[in-house]
Amino acid sequence: MSKHVVTLIPGEGTGPEICEAVKRVIDASGVNIKWEYEEIGLDCLDKYGTLLPEKTINSIAKNRVALKGPTTTPVGTGHKSANVTLRKVFDLYSNVRPAVSIPAVRRPWNDINILNFRENTEDTYSAIEHMVSSEVAQCLKVITWPGSFRIADFAFKWARAQGRKKVVCVHKANIMKITDGLFLEAFREAAKAYPEIETGDIIVDNCAMQLVRNPAQFDCLVLPNLYGDIITDLCAGMVGGLGFAPGANIGDSCAIFEAVHGSAPKYAGLNKVNPSAVLSSGIMMLRWLGENTAAVCIERAMQAVLAEGRRVTYDVGGTAGTDEYAGAIIEKMNEQGNGEQWKEQ
Amino acid sequence: MERAVKSARLVGVDIYIISENGVPQFTDLAPFQCEFVSNRGTKVWPGNFLPDLLLVNWYRCRFLATSEITDKDIDSFLARLSETWLWSAAQKLWLYDNEPGFSKPY
Repeated sequence: MSKHVVTLIPGEGTGPEICEAVKRVIDASGVNIKWEYEEIGLDCLDKYGTLLPEKTINSIAKNRVALKGPTTTPVGTGHKSANVTLRKVFDLYSNVRPAVSIPAVRRPWNDINILNFRENTEDTYSAIEHMVSSEVAQCLKVITWPGSFRIADFAFKWARAQGRKKVVCVHKANIMKITDGLFLEAFREAAKAYPEIETGDIIVDNCAMQLVRNPAQFDCLVLPNLYGDIITDLCAGMVGGLGFAPGANIGDSCAIFEAVHGSAPKYAGLNKVNPSAVLSSGIMMLRWLGENTAAVCIERAMQAVLAEGRRVTYDVGGTAGTDEYAGAIIEKMNEQGNGEQWKEQ
Repeated sequence: MERAVKSARLVGVDIYIISENGVPQFTDLAPFQCEFVSNRGTKVWPGNFLPDLLLVNWYRCRFLATSEITDKDIDSFLARLSETWLWSAAQKLWLYDNEPGFSKPY
């Protein structure tokens, strides 16, 4: 009997080939997972009349954990984002986006280790938009006290569990005094339960500037949804791009792990793209499942393959395909043993 | 430069209701019918929602007209609704050139 049952949603475009490579690596780590394949995205429209079939929702509701590949979201018109729908339906309020410099992937910034906590369900993502006259559109920015408090509390809990020193609230409360003011007020209230953790706050535009000037000053950031969307991509770009950026969407009893990059349809089926972001999301999932040894084993092997630079994908200067890169990581894991020697401290 | 819109037709109203007792339930809505109730952008009626969902005390309730309406229909509807519910705001819903000028919840 499998120890874990995980809903695997390959997604669209390059998603299926990426997810297959990631599944191979995770399975090779020896962790006991039964994968339940489910569908999402534009292909589902023809088959089921919806981007997010009921069967997929039911699988996630049952298993409470999913690993998801990229999907395509139409811009401007058409159907709502399947990604945002998943976050809304399961109330996955915390989008955890680590941004950590990878030694083998050199960028102008090489000393970044930031844990971003983006509120994932509110703000301008509340889908409340109106044409209030023939020439004026309006989108409501919904910030709630309980929604703001719980993301701040979640961030402080993680910071405490990981021995982090400082949590900073990102906002624009100098202009949006009521909405962002409420977010900041809830953050300060949540902070009271974590007196050992240093706190601070920063205006979002200054945060963006400070990130590119001196990213090492930041430890953990808590952000409302829209600022979080932008700042976390900025952080991802600073450590190697979206090809290396993992993400987790976590609620009180359910979690979906996914890369934040797009589905790159022009590369679909070419066995070309870098699966590191989904693999790193898978590593986050393994830790969430308590499989720390497997997580460390894969992480070290991936770092080693990247450091060698021989069998890596085109985006980091190599010629290897998705499969070959995954195979190199598996070979490296086999060379390293079963990971027992790297049990996480 | 003006935006070229040929027609605007009033078809309903979004009313934001404050409820401390869960999802509002409505009766006697003519000439409207309730299309949905949402909370923080997620539909909570009709149909089910997962028990994990955080509900705040502010619901977006969409009422679509079942026949042609005027501003007076909305005024009298709000007056009737006020007898039972506390509401914080109302937003009229128009079709512009027969395209909805309003979004749906998740």
